[in-house]
Amino acid sequence: MATVQVSEAEKVYILHGIRDDLRVDGRGCEDYRHMEVETDVVSNTDGSAKVTLGHTAVLVGIKAEIGKPRPMIANEGYLEFFVDWWVSANATPEFEGRGGEELGTELSNTLYKVFNNQHSLDLKSLCISPGEHCWVLYVDVLLLQCDGNLYDAISVAIKAALFNTKIPRVHISTDEEGGKEIELSDDPYDCMRLDVENVPCIVTLCKIGHRHVVDATLLEKACSVASLIISVTHRGIITCSRKVGRGSLDPESICEMIEAGKRVGKALHPPLMKLLQQEESLGKKRQKVGFLC
Amino acid sequence: MPTDTKRVRGPEASQSPLLFWSRPAKALPSHGPRADGRQRDQVDVRPVFVRCGLVSQAKGSAYIEAGNTKVLCCVYGPRETERRDETDMKSGRLTTDMRFAPFSCPERGSWIQGSQDKDFSLMLQESLQPAVCLHKYPRSQIEVNVMVLENSGSILAHAVTCASMALADAGIEMYDLVLGCSLRQDGGSFVVDPTYPEENSCRSGSGEKQGRLTVAFLPSLNQVSGLQSDGEMAEETLTAGIRTCIEGCYKVYPVIQQALIKAVRRAAPPPAES
Repeated sequence: MATVQVSEAEKVYILHGIRDDLRVDGRGCEDYRHMEVETDVVSNTDGSAKVTLGHTAVLVGIKAEIGKPRPMIANEGYLEFFVDWWVSANATPEFEGRGGEELGTELSNTLYKVFNNQHSLDLKSLCISPGEHCWVLYVDVLLLQCDGNLYDAISVAIKAALFNTKIPRVHISTDEEGGKEIELSDDPYDCMRLDVENVPCIVTLCKIGHRHVVDATLLEKACSVASLIISVTHRGIITCSRKVGRGSLDPESICEMIEAGKRVGKALHPPLMKLLQQEESLGKKRQKVGFLC
Repeated sequence: MPTDTKRVRGPEASQSPLLFWSRPAKALPSHGPRADGRQRDQVDVRPVFVRCGLVSQAKGSAYIEAGNTKVLCCVYGPRETERRDETDMKSGRLTTDMRFAPFSCPERGSWIQGSQDKDFSLMLQESLQPAVCLHKYPRSQIEVNVMVLENSGSILAHAVTCASMALADAGIEMYDLVLGCSLRQDGGSFVVDPTYPEENSCRSGSGEKQGRLTVAFLPSLNQVSGLQSDGEMAEETLTAGIRTCIEGCYKVYPVIQQALIKAVRRAAPPPAES
């Protein structure tokens, strides 16, 4: 992850503050920064969303294409994730040590694990004809700015983009030789939407001193030795968890962190869904904010 | 999807004959004893065979066999690195590389993409790093190369154990050994140290409490250095699973200790009483 230079005195200051449940910017240990979510920002995609979490900005674009289903699972579509940077990792002096490509691989592999279960997204609805055609959703994540806590921002952006995704309806017809033909419906507004109720959100908990914090900035991350990434659905089910960082964690503190992560993650879903539905209901009257802010 | 450009794969159109098998893969039952006679819902790990010092060219090496899972690890180093940035001056660097032989899984290399290998390597590094005293090797690099010869379940857990044994065999200073254990939660019951069919059996319709969990543990310091889970589990299931994996690690500990003592004795036999 990108690193900042932190002096020992600053580390001690941050550590003592967190011990008393007060972070550098005045938040409590389980508070998120100001988050802005906007969907439908890129018109060429089937679904898109931009999320700004403090100084971290992430853009997700989803394109649906018709492809062949996976050989072992013939009646489901699938998702493909890819994470990339806006500027090359070498150009930004912040990203020393680990190359941007490695971090992109780590992020996309974690996303595969998060969605690697039956209930996050109804993949059977993405099937067109079993064994032959299915919808493949290419989820491309572009990291615009990094100020810590990439996982959370990416997961919220993916949830918003999936909510916004409009997949055109197709129907299969058999032509004279018996081959199958796919026809897209003529009406551009006749499309299928995805049910994102069960899509999980990722919560990153950083262990700093003896306590853990949610939504750590780069500065706080430099003071922590290890973090735990948990993806939680709105019902509190944990779909993926992973420990990152160079340090080790006590089993007791892992249990505490999982419990806190579940609480925070569960509380994140209702306001997000409400916001997405509100934004949707504004329809054409919505003022697009875009990127110039 | 990033593709693997280093290996020469067969033609794209070739498929595994398992796809044409007329009998559908039957889901493994979630009650009753397991296929290899071990118990469910108990910390019943497979008996483990370990040996150190197999590869003469490497500084340290180890081989682990658990059931049919076979993993080999070599450690090279510490070697000097060019001074890249300030962090290299103060402490060493640990690089890990985990590779799967193309014949190691039931399907030839089909689910093994380049990025999945990198993901395993990364998790291996995160599990091993807390245990190695890197500050004692400034400006150096220690390379850990793991090769999976046969994948019959719990591959990451056994790779972690094998790698930490190889590091100990190489004489790299460590705070503690790192042991790995994994678990598969299947509905209401769990199986520890799952085999490949147990790990990948999917039971449609049972919904919650379906997941896999791997824990890397430092036994004498009581610290968890690596944790990885996927599937869908409730919080209590996950925490109970972590405790179960920790117990599983303790079960393997004496065997690993014995193997290391034997390796040391072989390398430097005690002075003869005279």
